Amino acid sequence: MTPHVVDVPVLETERLILRAPQASDFDVLAPFVMSDRANFIGGGVDKDISHAWRILAILTGHWPLRGYGVFVLVPKDGDAPIGSMGPWYPEGWPEPELSWTIWDANAEGKGYAFEAMVEIRRYAYAVLGWETAVSYIDAANARSIALAERMGCVIDADANGPDPDDVVYRHPSASEVLA
Amino acid sequence: MTAHTTISALTNAIPVLETERFVMRGYTDADIEPFAAFYAGERSHFVGGPMSRELACRALMTYAGHWHVRGYGRWMVEDKATGAILGNVGLWYPEGWPEPEIGWTLFDGAEGRGVALETAMASRDYAFNVLQWDTAISLVDPRNTRSAHLSQRMGAVHDGRFAHERYGTMDIWRHPIPAEVEA
Repeated sequence: MTPHVVDVPVLETERLILRAPQASDFDVLAPFVMSDRANFIGGGVDKDISHAWRILAILTGHWPLRGYGVFVLVPKDGDAPIGSMGPWYPEGWPEPELSWTIWDANAEGKGYAFEAMVEIRRYAYAVLGWETAVSYIDAANARSIALAERMGCVIDADANGPDPDDVVYRHPSASEVLA
Repeated sequence: MTAHTTISALTNAIPVLETERFVMRGYTDADIEPFAAFYAGERSHFVGGPMSRELACRALMTYAGHWHVRGYGRWMVEDKATGAILGNVGLWYPEGWPEPEIGWTLFDGAEGRGVALETAMASRDYAFNVLQWDTAISLVDPRNTRSAHLSQRMGAVHDGRFAHERYGTMDIWRHPIPAEVEA
């Protein structure tokens, strides 16, 4: 069995570079994971720095296992990462997900997540060959629900998420997005 | 708008090491099954288990991602003769560890034939000769007599204890320095 040698493409949008996670991302990721802003994704103020490190390793390790994974967003007018988003399909997930997380609170409210996710969804459909995609969102996460709706997602009441509190938002299909 | 012009970060393949009887290689999705099986069992209690399949997969992703975050890591061990996946051995330095260690985990049925010794020695050679480490430790649960014995067989000596917030107290076994290993 030959391990994947993973080529992670660099995607680009008007304002953002989307690249593979790297070690230096820890400086921004770690404070996020240890804050209450990370409550929806398994972080929180009760988490320590070794937990945060494992999150970075997991985000990165998804790539060689699945051949795809999340991208880290870096604004072109800066050099610090602001979040991670993209295809996510760990064991226990009912189907592959398009996920998003903004690490840096100061980067919220600027449309970065929408801008990145439109390109990443196109990538998942056009390059990875996905025909459908879901996003699993905690019912209390109003900001993410608003983004899902802006992307044209609708609630799929017949699908289950990995967590009982998740609402499953289904994206427009590949044929709709790529048309 | 889209540019697939450059390729970043993860293109470095994990080096494949070969010992007399085993191949040590990077991680693939085919490793999820043996990982889940090992971590479902009681033998995983020295390394944070037993745990669910979902958490075992997260552990596997952590081992894979370690390579890209640290530039080195552990390997999956395969039997050259049969192709069987025997364990997960190598170099390990997650945040919170006192210093980089040489670690070994053998899956069910792989014990008792020197798999850990042969592959841990290859890992130590890699750390000293390729990565130029000037020292190495192994962290061992004090109740894990098999691993303590293996540390001793590798020439390591007991060098105090390390108390981890979540994983508890572990014995520190200090390996011989590179010059002593080469001698």
